[in-house]
Amino acid sequence: MANVELRNLTKVWDQVTAVDGINLEIRDGEFLAVLGPSGCGKSTTLFMLAGVYLPSGGDILFDGARVNDVEARSRNVGIVFQSYALYPNMNVLQNIMFPLRFQETRDAAAQAREMAELVQVGELLERRPSQLSGGQQQRVALARALVKQPNLLLLDEPLSNLDATLRLTMRAEIRRITRELAVTTILVTHDQLEATTMADRVVCMNVGRIEQTGTAEDLYLRPDTLFVAGFIGSPPINLIRLQASQRAVLDVPDTAETVGIRPELLHSAETGLPVTVTTVEPMGRETLVTADSDLGPLRFLEATSRPKWSAGDKLHVSFRSQDTIVFDGAGQRMSDLHAAIG
Amino acid sequence: MAVAKTQADWELLARRSRRDRRIKQGLLIAFLTLVTIPVVVPFFWIFVISISARTGGVESEVLWRACAILVPTVFAYGAAHTVFRRARQRIYAAVILVLLAVVGLAFSVGDDLHLYNYRFMVNPNLVEELRGAATAGGQFPWVWVAFVNSLFVAATSMALKVTVATLAGYYLSRFAFRGRSQFLQGLLILEVFHPWMLTIPIFLVIFWIGLLNTLAGPILVLTAIDLPFFIFIMKGFFDAVPWDIEMSAMTDGASRRQAFRMVVLPQVRGGIIAIAVLGFIKGWEEYVFVTALRTGNSYWVMSTYLYYVAEDVMGVDYGVVAAVSVIYIIPSLLLYLFCQKFLTQLTLGGVKG
Repeated sequence: MANVELRNLTKVWDQVTAVDGINLEIRDGEFLAVLGPSGCGKSTTLFMLAGVYLPSGGDILFDGARVNDVEARSRNVGIVFQSYALYPNMNVLQNIMFPLRFQETRDAAAQAREMAELVQVGELLERRPSQLSGGQQQRVALARALVKQPNLLLLDEPLSNLDATLRLTMRAEIRRITRELAVTTILVTHDQLEATTMADRVVCMNVGRIEQTGTAEDLYLRPDTLFVAGFIGSPPINLIRLQASQRAVLDVPDTAETVGIRPELLHSAETGLPVTVTTVEPMGRETLVTADSDLGPLRFLEATSRPKWSAGDKLHVSFRSQDTIVFDGAGQRMSDLHAAIG
Repeated sequence: MAVAKTQADWELLARRSRRDRRIKQGLLIAFLTLVTIPVVVPFFWIFVISISARTGGVESEVLWRACAILVPTVFAYGAAHTVFRRARQRIYAAVILVLLAVVGLAFSVGDDLHLYNYRFMVNPNLVEELRGAATAGGQFPWVWVAFVNSLFVAATSMALKVTVATLAGYYLSRFAFRGRSQFLQGLLILEVFHPWMLTIPIFLVIFWIGLLNTLAGPILVLTAIDLPFFIFIMKGFFDAVPWDIEMSAMTDGASRRQAFRMVVLPQVRGGIIAIAVLGFIKGWEEYVFVTALRTGNSYWVMSTYLYYVAEDVMGVDYGVVAAVSVIYIIPSLLLYLFCQKFLTQLTLGGVKG
């Protein structure tokens, strides 16, 4: 269990910069999620932490000591891969025991069994990976990563090969196991739900840079940048580019370029912005309505499973001024500034 | 009425498709049997000659008599296989037919069979017995000397080929380095030239480095000839092993070498066995380079032994030639039989490469 720090970490492939000087500190025992679209450099960061890739620049520190040059085998890091990477030529017990073969362990088999019990595959020890279901393979991979009591547990999109229900259970399961063992964990994912539900803290990355670090709530309600605002949230946030016609309707500071408002914070009202409904999409618990307005197309959620509106209806929508998020020309949030219907 | 009619139609259709399937299967078996004949008959003939020919002459009468028993047996088994559905019935039929064939063979050709042509296996000096000590004594070896030499050539070149091809294939599959694609293209271009075209330069090279008239010469040449293709095959097999597995082993605490040995290598076992078998057989059956790279009788291997039995030393005794051939074939035949499974995987791995 370790405290991990990244200082100005960079990785360059030929001409492409995959990771561009990121700074990050992960506290001992913390569960951190790294969230970003594919190609944002999150997996590269993970493999640098594991020691499989050598950083092109910057430092990786475990408990304050620089480990850049420490080989993968000596870093005591456990990884669970998206494909699980179980060794097909070994059975479950041998797979879990594999990391212990490189350590001086007296009761390797007992430890492996104990770990197998913890992840609930105690019945399957004699099976081959090919005879296991996806969820079982996932558990075995987790046990193998944890059996050597790693300094750091890395999870590389561990749930993306599972079906939806299994994903739900495994999410809770992984959280339970990492809490029980109090292991520092980094989860890499492009699924925001996975990141926000499992992690203590979420790092949002884009094109090799960290856009924002914070709790799930921070990222959702107070996105630092336009990218984070747009990436997080489903259905996505309404982003209104401010041109002369929009400025005529809205009361915003002159330096602002874009205004964002979450769909669930817009609601129909007696007075406010006049809109015309274009589509109505029932989503089960709530209904997503898309409507045209002077600000451009707007999405808003009605908390009902029976749609009140249909296409062509004219109504008014309004929002609270403090719920709006205002971004400047560089895409940075302008804190303490808001927009209102003018 | 309409219902009854449709039912009748279904039955008819079912019967028709069953019949069609039978006919198709029958035709397929007949066709496969026919095309197998030219492959099997020469081997069988050689075997028959080796156990029946008397000194000097060759006659095919024994062959025809044996065929008269065996061909009906094969057809009878084919018929039994189609008629009987259960595995147990088929086994009984096979056992009975084999027993019948053995009895039939004993009566028809049993008196003509003998093992005298195999005397070269126990008699170290075949030539002296035939021509007297003066002719070729001391030059022509006992068959086991040639056998062991052949084994040595085949096994050593196999070990070299497998080691180099595996390591090179792994490196080519996993590492990016300047000139990698050119190197791969180069490997393929080498396949264009038939190695026999290079016999004279190879002879000179082997002569200059002083390996002429030693087994090391053909061993190295054979290794070099097979390597390009084998490297390509192994690269294909390594390409099919996912990166994740290797990274996982390294984070689990293995060094790169340990990850290679304990995790990656077991995944390409099929490829290794396949090139080992191919490499061994190439060395075992080699004739051109073992002949070209010696200037006297400095070493003997099975292929040169067979050649001299047939052509040079004692005129032609086809019985002995056939017997030597049978002994010569057995090791490769056994290897093929036991490793067939891995050789068929080879195409798969090759395609991926």
